[in-house]
Order: sequence, then structure tokens, then C-alpha cells
Amino acid sequence: MKSRTSDPAAEPSSVLYTRCTVNLKSGTIHREDVPCRNLEDVLGGFGRSFQILAERNISQAYCEENPLIVNTGLLTGSSAMTGLRTYFSGYSPIKASKKGLPGAMWSTGSGNFGAKLKWAGLDELIFEGRSATPVYAVIRETPDGAQVELKPADHLLGLSTHNKMMVLQKEYANAHFATIGQAGEQWENVYFGAVGLSTDNQLKSGEDKMRFAGRGGMGSLMGYKNLLALVAQSPDKIKPLSPEIRDVNINVVKGGGAARLQPISRGGGGGTWAAYDVLQAFHAVPVNNFRPQGNDLPEQLFRERVEKQFIIKSEACYRCGITCHNNIHEKKEDGSAGAFLAKFDYEPLNLLGTNIGIHDAGQAARLIHLSDNYGMDSISLGVTVSYLLSYNERHPEKPLLNGATFGDFAKIEELVIQAGEGKLPEIGRGSKRLSESTGETSYAYHVKGLELPAYQPETNPGYAWAIAGGHMSMATYGMLTREGKSDMESWVEGITQTKLQIVGFDMIGLCKFFDITKGICTQMVVDCLKSELNLDVTTEALAAAVRRAFLRGLALELRQGYEKEEYTLPAEVWERPNTNIKLPNITSPEFIAELQQRVWEIFEPQLARLLPDS
Amino acid sequence: MNVTVKLVGIFQIGRFKEAVCEYPTGTSVQKVVDELLIPDPLLGIVLINDVHAGVEDLLHDGDTLCLLPFIDGG
Repeated sequence: MKSRTSDPAAEPSSVLYTRCTVNLKSGTIHREDVPCRNLEDVLGGFGRSFQILAERNISQAYCEENPLIVNTGLLTGSSAMTGLRTYFSGYSPIKASKKGLPGAMWSTGSGNFGAKLKWAGLDELIFEGRSATPVYAVIRETPDGAQVELKPADHLLGLSTHNKMMVLQKEYANAHFATIGQAGEQWENVYFGAVGLSTDNQLKSGEDKMRFAGRGGMGSLMGYKNLLALVAQSPDKIKPLSPEIRDVNINVVKGGGAARLQPISRGGGGGTWAAYDVLQAFHAVPVNNFRPQGNDLPEQLFRERVEKQFIIKSEACYRCGITCHNNIHEKKEDGSAGAFLAKFDYEPLNLLGTNIGIHDAGQAARLIHLSDNYGMDSISLGVTVSYLLSYNERHPEKPLLNGATFGDFAKIEELVIQAGEGKLPEIGRGSKRLSESTGETSYAYHVKGLELPAYQPETNPGYAWAIAGGHMSMATYGMLTREGKSDMESWVEGITQTKLQIVGFDMIGLCKFFDITKGICTQMVVDCLKSELNLDVTTEALAAAVRRAFLRGLALELRQGYEKEEYTLPAEVWERPNTNIKLPNITSPEFIAELQQRVWEIFEPQLARLLPDS
Repeated sequence: MNVTVKLVGIFQIGRFKEAVCEYPTGTSVQKVVDELLIPDPLLGIVLINDVHAGVEDLLHDGDTLCLLPFIDGG
């Protein structure tokens, strides 16, 4: 990033980002400094990539005109805590309108790849076309700036996300990696391939502790392009900690922001896993394909139960003091930690555990491990499997695939392995397509083609307006459960004003746990931008840019053929109301219909002139 | 007055899961939270008789107070 102004909101074109465009078909590589069009461009992430995607008319995800955009945010690689994010954007193989057009999508993860990419001298990489043979890209810092080179990747074919990194690590010192697994390689039959991002902990320990840009099949798009891995090689270039950033980082760790995500041993809440206990109090932990039963089954995966059998290590991303990871290890006879099994976050644990009838922590860990190593989005995988199990429960006389049912670990494991190897397109193409093939769509728990995270839709009608995955791009998932909001006014305001601001984190390069409740429009972020980059940006300008970026995403959905009736929830929610959930009913057909009307009344007039052709 | 206090998740560590506690009339939720040494940043949800409430709310004899940690998705 090169800046000739300290006021990027007023003079965005005086800020230039370094972009490298790689044509995988021809092998040509072009690097340029691009002036920003607006503050969204300056911030980066999807705020920039969606403007590029909006310039293209793409009718199918797997086509040479669909780019894979890999970029960073303004604070990626900075000394601000959590500044590690990399963004992958493109038209998604899995997210699609009923008209069949692919939705624009971004996915993001931490790990050290994004920081290395920026330190190597690039803000953005665009991969055009498709390579005829498997390749990987190496991004290096040179005296002439960042250099990108494509190299043959036959030796990486068939390896897991983790093993690809282990092979590349032997060849490239001081580097970090973004890889796909076998699932991404089998892009024709797996639409929810993820991109793994290497971590320092992983490269030092040899344990498969990657992070993921999981949602939306960006790993499958990478696989379609025959691009198996990215290598970013550069010395670390973190600036010395300024007093201002030091104060911000202390506030992140100890203040209201992420304090509750700290390990229990440090007085924190213990990471996202803690959601199990809280949601169970309302019988709102998804069980057997999002049908909580009002019993204590979810408690079997409560942390207090699991730690009797396994060692739980609290670990963190590189230089992050939040320490939100709960890494599960075998417990040896002497009580010490054995082999690393999996990272227990709420989403994968529930969707590859309780929600498919698996209540054994070791079995859930095995499924999470498989999903990670094959390189699949655990949310889409888990929910598609739970749909299948629900179908089989309803049709015992004529079950699908191997006839797996809820809790049948051996058969579920077989499904996951076969899906990861690209042998089960019924699973690998997601719940929307599977349910359309069976004709039973009401209990397929996706919205707009993207599977729901592990929060009951009965608690979150805001899912309908999420533009890049349930809770990650519309933070209304706690409004009923946490805030007790069940009135129309609160929900309209939440969806159209306050809760969409969560996507700011998907622009600026910080993790949501930097300050998940307040977003990026805070003095903390203003201080970081000033101290790190000498940029003066107000919280109001940040909020306006985030809102424009969100609305642009919404406008892009509509351009890709989404009809307003697709902004809804799975029909089972009101066709078979679940009275076990101990919360007010805010998903009746009447409530949803009024909410749709009110939300569109606000959004629709604001969607004009956000896209190039509108 | 007697209030049934239920604690969820990490709040049970070193405290209790459920107990009937005696408080003076006019006791607020905040007072109970303070007495139990529950850190404010960790307190996410307050329920009185299964209905969402605030820390400033006053308790009444026979109430059931449930204190739950914050939930953050990720």
C-alpha cells in the first residue's frame, strides 16, 4: 500500500495498492499499483474484491472468466492484534440463486499467510483463467518488488491441506502457505472445498493446526483453476509496537472486546465452545439436523465432560493474546498430552457432533480432523450430512447412499471420507442440490445455498440477509438468545443498521474477536490506522464504507438472480415449529413476511448505483 | 426473600449449579452478580423466571434468576 494522503476517505485515489494478476492459462504475470476508488478499496478484503467481481458477468462458477481474488486488509500484517486475515473471493460454486447463477462470495482465515503476502510486497493477487496442469504459486520479495512465479505441483496432488504444507515447508524457508486438500482437487464433486492457511504453531510442531478460509467453496474454485497451493516467502516485517497500538492490544486482550474468549484459566469464557452451555439453557443447541429435543443430549459435548477424557490446550494465533483455540489432545495414562486430535470450535464441534447424532468427543474430533485435512468447509459438510441423515430417518425403507442414520459413526465417517475424496457428489455439492434432488427441501438447512452455522434458524431470521455465510456476515445470531430481542423494530434495526457492520472485519484485516460486539467503527481501529499507516479515518467514515460494501454485496446477489422470496429460512421452521426451544417464536410466517417487507423497504432504495451496470 | 439462582457454564466453576439464596427485599441482579464475583465482561445473559432481564432489575421472593456467560460465534 502506498499512500500520498492522510485522508483516504476524501482522497482514496491517492492511496495505491499493489496488485499482481496471474493468468494461469497463458502464464503471464502483471504487477501494478492501482489507485483506490473509495474507502472500501482502501480497507481491502471483500470491500475491494466485490467491486472487481461486480465488473464481471459470470453465469457459472467454474469458468475461466471467474477470478480467484486473494487479498489482505489494511491492517493485515500490522502490529495490531489479530491482524492476520487473508481473504479469498470469487463467484461461488456452492452459493447459487434458484436461477442457477453463482453468488459472489468471500471467505477468510487467519494463519500467517496473509501477513507474509503483504510483507512480500503484495496487497492483492488475482488468478485469471485455468492452468492446464497442476501448479502452485510462489510469491517472493525481491529488490524489484514482489515477484510471483508459477511452478509445477504434480508432487502435491492427492495430499491433504496439511501435508501439502509440510512438503512445501521443506523447500521454502521463512514462508507460509495456503493450500487446498483432496476435496478442492475434486472440485467437480465437491463444491465446498476450503483453503487451509498455515500457522507458526503448525509449522513448528508438525501438527495439523491450520486455520481455514472455509466458506463458499473458494478451495474448490482454486482446485478448478488447477492451483493447488500458494507460497508467500518474506522476512517478518512487523513494526515496533507503538504506545498507541500497545494500548489497543491491551484493551483487546483485557478489555470488553475479547476478554470472554480467553482461556478459562485466565478468567475468560473459554472460546466459542462455551456457546454449548449457554444455548443448551434454551434447548437451542442444534441436534439431529437442527431439531433440538428438549433433553440433555448436547451436554455430552460440554467442555467439563470432554476434559475428563482429553487434554484441552488453550492456544493462540501468532502474536495474538486472545488465545481462543481449544486444541484437543489424547490424554496419556500419566495424564500428559498425547497426539493432537482437533480444534474444538463451536461450529465444527456441533455440526460434526451433536447435530449429526455424534455425542462422543473422540468421534467428533475424528470427523473434524478429516474435514480439515481433506479441506472441506465443516459447516457445509456437517449440514449436508445432517440433511442426509434426516432424510434416511424419514425414509428407512429407501435410504440414500450408505443408509447412515444419526449417530452411526462408522457410516458417517465413511460418508465424510468419500465426500473428501470426491466420490460422493450427493454430499459434496451441498444440501441445496441434494434436497432439490430428493424433492424434500423444507429441512435442508441452508439459506441462499449456503449451509447454516450452528445457531438455530428459529433464533435468527437475520440469516436471510447474510451475504457471505450465516453468522459471519450478519451478526444477528445472538439477538434473541443473548439480547432477548423479539420485537419487529429491533429486528429491522438489527438487520438493516447495526448487525451488518460485522463485515467490516472482512475488509480491514482483523479477526472478529478483535471486538466482536462493536465492529471496526471504533476508536481502537482509528488509533491503529493512525499509528500504523498515518491515516486519519473517522469512525463515521468507516461505518459508511462498511455499509456500502455490505449493500454492494446485497445488490450483487440480486444481480445474480436471487429473488426476494429466497431471503428466507428453511420452511421446516414454521411447518413444524419446535416447541422444545425455550425462546419466543419470531419465525412465524407472519413475522417473517412483515420482516421481509420492512427490511426491503429500507435496503432497496439504497442499492442503486452500487454496481457498475446499475 | 428467597431466590433460586442458577448458574450456567463457567459460572459454575468454584460456585454452584443451582442454589436457593436469601437476599434482602429490593436486591438487584447486579448485587447478586457482585456477591458471586462474576466478572462483568463475562456476563452475557440474565433471565428472571425464564425471561430476559437486566442487571438493574430487582428480584422478588420466589424468583428464579439464571446467569449465563456471553456467547460469541466464530
